[in-house]
Amino acid sequence: MVQNGLLSPYWPTPWINTQQWYPDGLDMSGSLPALPMTAAILYNIISWLGVNVDLMAFVSLLPVIFGTFACLIIYFIGKDMGGKAVGLFAALFLALAPSFLQRTALGFFDTEVPGMLGLLLFIFLFLRAIDETRSLRSSLIYSIGSGMALAYFIGAWGAAYFLLDLAVFFVFVLILLKRYSQRLLLSYSLTFGLALFIATKVPYISLGYLTSGPVIPIAGVFLLLCLAEVLRNNISARTKVSLIVATITALVGGFVVMWQLGHMQGIAGKFISVLDPFVRSAAPLIESVAEHRVSAWGNIYFELGLGILFFLAGLYFTLRNPTNRNVFLLLFGATSLYFAASMVRLLVIFASAFSLLAAIGILGILKPFYALLREAPQLAIKSKRRIARVSKEYSGVAIFLVFMLLVTNLAFSPQSGGMPRVYSQAYAPITVSAASLPVVPSEPAQEWLDMLSWTQNNLQSTTVVCAWWDYGYWLSILGNVTTLADNATVNGTQIENIGFSFMAPEQQSLKMLECYNAKYILVFTTLGLGSPTTQQQYQYIASPAGFGDEGKWMWMARISGQARDRFIQTGFIGEELAWTDENTFGSRDNQTGAWQWNNVGKNSTIYKLLSWAKQRWTEVSGGGVVGPDEAGVQPEYFTEAYFAGVDLNPIDASAKYGGLIPLVALYEIDWQKYYTEIGQP
Amino acid sequence: MFPKVPDQHKIGKPLVPNGLGVIYVLFTTVYLFLIYFSGIAKASNGVSAPLTLAVCILFGGFMGLLDDWMDLKWRYKAFMPLIAALPLIYLAIENGLRTSISLPFIGMIQFHEAYYFIIIPLIVMIVTNTVNQLGGLNGLETVCPAIILIGLMVLSQFSYLLLMLGPLILWLALAALNFKGKIFVGNTGSFAIGMTIASFAVITDLKSSLLVSILPYIFNSALILLTIFLFKKRASVSFDGKKLVSDQRRSLVTLITYRRPLTEHQVVALISLLMVIFMSIAVLIELPWPLLT
Repeated sequence: MVQNGLLSPYWPTPWINTQQWYPDGLDMSGSLPALPMTAAILYNIISWLGVNVDLMAFVSLLPVIFGTFACLIIYFIGKDMGGKAVGLFAALFLALAPSFLQRTALGFFDTEVPGMLGLLLFIFLFLRAIDETRSLRSSLIYSIGSGMALAYFIGAWGAAYFLLDLAVFFVFVLILLKRYSQRLLLSYSLTFGLALFIATKVPYISLGYLTSGPVIPIAGVFLLLCLAEVLRNNISARTKVSLIVATITALVGGFVVMWQLGHMQGIAGKFISVLDPFVRSAAPLIESVAEHRVSAWGNIYFELGLGILFFLAGLYFTLRNPTNRNVFLLLFGATSLYFAASMVRLLVIFASAFSLLAAIGILGILKPFYALLREAPQLAIKSKRRIARVSKEYSGVAIFLVFMLLVTNLAFSPQSGGMPRVYSQAYAPITVSAASLPVVPSEPAQEWLDMLSWTQNNLQSTTVVCAWWDYGYWLSILGNVTTLADNATVNGTQIENIGFSFMAPEQQSLKMLECYNAKYILVFTTLGLGSPTTQQQYQYIASPAGFGDEGKWMWMARISGQARDRFIQTGFIGEELAWTDENTFGSRDNQTGAWQWNNVGKNSTIYKLLSWAKQRWTEVSGGGVVGPDEAGVQPEYFTEAYFAGVDLNPIDASAKYGGLIPLVALYEIDWQKYYTEIGQP
Repeated sequence: MFPKVPDQHKIGKPLVPNGLGVIYVLFTTVYLFLIYFSGIAKASNGVSAPLTLAVCILFGGFMGLLDDWMDLKWRYKAFMPLIAALPLIYLAIENGLRTSISLPFIGMIQFHEAYYFIIIPLIVMIVTNTVNQLGGLNGLETVCPAIILIGLMVLSQFSYLLLMLGPLILWLALAALNFKGKIFVGNTGSFAIGMTIASFAVITDLKSSLLVSILPYIFNSALILLTIFLFKKRASVSFDGKKLVSDQRRSLVTLITYRRPLTEHQVVALISLLMVIFMSIAVLIELPWPLLT
């Protein structure tokens, strides 16, 4: 976009990026445009202003700046809801929400970044647009603004369905509460009309969006609003009844017809699985992505701590005073909590609802105490309360107690051993600069960076490197090689095939890799050091730590296992060697919980690739042996191209990574040997 | 600085400062923070026991403060402690605490997952509310919980004992003053100490001892609630200037003073004795008997 113009990925021809998802490539016109466009426009502006900054550095900084803006916007939402104090608290809570911090951290250049901004901006503007105390002119301006914010959100993040339906549901509830007004009809039509008009111009969204399941209700509620408008006028009861019947018939009939004609596009699997988490257990491809996991309640508590108390208090106060804004907040809080409980990633949406509600809760609790604190001391409260005279100091104690509760939440939280998650999150480095280890090294870990600079300097951008999809973006964007899969997970079949290449025995694996013209294959494994044995000098025993492919291979087995029949039918593997899940390759030891590979497992490609990398580490680094005590197996058709981390000796590993050793092993595929042995293709 | 309320069972109903439980809450919180900072009680499995305890007690005190302030409705009082169960559930799960309770005569009951999500919230809810319900006489709401807390501390490991040592000493000082009729701890104190007992028992995994020792409390609450539900009548004790006496048996206090005038101190001493008996039973059950024989 920066080089060829903003519309270049979409127009005149779609840009197919063959460096990712080789050979089909990744259709870049099928991506959501808001994030890259925002970045490109801002980058062009600052370049034009004469600021000379690297594009990669610029996009790394962008999330941080956007996150700051999001906090600013939530301040204004809070201010509208309950005054400046609510706004300030809400902004503070959002800024300190671990999930929000994680997704607006340096380098997190992802859809949530413009998404959260668009979400909050829309809420802020839409709630102002339907505010009847404002002039018609300002309502119109706010409606247009909220329409644009909504369009931006739709173009930014797939989670837009949530916000669309939340807003529609909110308006529906307002109708049920008999709070219909012309202003509502006006703002609603303008906002949604404009938003959908703009959004459908995005190639990925297109006109089909209008007839997809989650978007249809917009039209339905619009009809209801029109009906409410007509009913408001003085017409006969008979006409009213027939109008209502006609509308209901139209709604139901329209739905059935659309359904029958197949215009209701199925919602992508991810979204269905949010609504019904149990669908997911059957879909390992979705389940294997950590951010798609069902969040246990513990996760929510871990994140929010006893702040839940203030959240509940906030719900209580909004329920007691159901203004339009409070009704929205109530729905927002309840629905986002449901979705956050269903998918870890959506905690970030819940974080904003939580911040607002907790702020209202705290202020609601403190209000009477605070009021008394400001009163003249001689005034006694007249009430039937048991305490006849309450001094100013005593209400000061109450405020102090609330403060202490916040302290245990934001300064030393019990659930994370004292250090609240937000701070550990704040100090967590970008995964690549921590070599994908769960540690906070004092300086960037070099292993992955070394590997990526090696591929950049020694391989062509068209060289195909097969790796599990977790490393796809790093390899294609930072390492500048061609990859088969990455976090976009656009092609399930291809991921099954990659899983197959890793799990099958070498010859079968090569048959698959041949289809992809793969020249290299990469595995990442981690070792954890045990205490040194003193028998012969210092010998460390290093065993699999589980943060690399030695932990992920089970997903490779499960995902590829789903396509068992396809692999057999297409002749990639014989029925006797095929598998459905990881249990074909070994079993877990009941006593130690460690994985025991059986003969099939030890014959798999992944086992050999991992085993040989570990073997090389013991040879090169010195001072360490690998446990469990298995001889390193050298793969037949894969030769060492470059192994990063093999020279990391135990002493350095203890000092730098707390005893973890990251090994990034790149193997070159020995096609010549393969063809000599099985004959030319 | 503390609000004053009349002491109903003294001649002339002198005004006594109420709500001093907040001192206990603040002191305990700071004390537990210091324990945490000193590193004596290390976080196990990522959860810090002193901080968990601090957060629960803080919450109990906060709830009591709200109650002192605005007379919380019963439905809120009954269910609000559930919030404080969250940190305990989290701690119990992360540390993999036993999910079974062994009771005398009944034996071991295995609750599995239900222990975390049903039993712990129930423990917190019942203990805080029953402890809160036995009060109204000088010393009653302070001495009795202190007995249970001491019993639990005797049974716990040293590292846990340390968690409550400072707070216990302070609480005993408050109890002494309370017994003499100089101060009241208020609902702040009563909910905070109830929460202390519940969370300390969950953290130290001493729930069967807890269940035995709080039996008098449960009996008292059951009596009160049953008469309210069945006869819609509340317990009340009358004061003739010297002694307490009652004409009904709708609570533990009225049961003891039923047509038998006793001084306030006598009633408190009797109920405390009852507490000591049950606590001793709980301690005796827990003792490693095979070692003694």
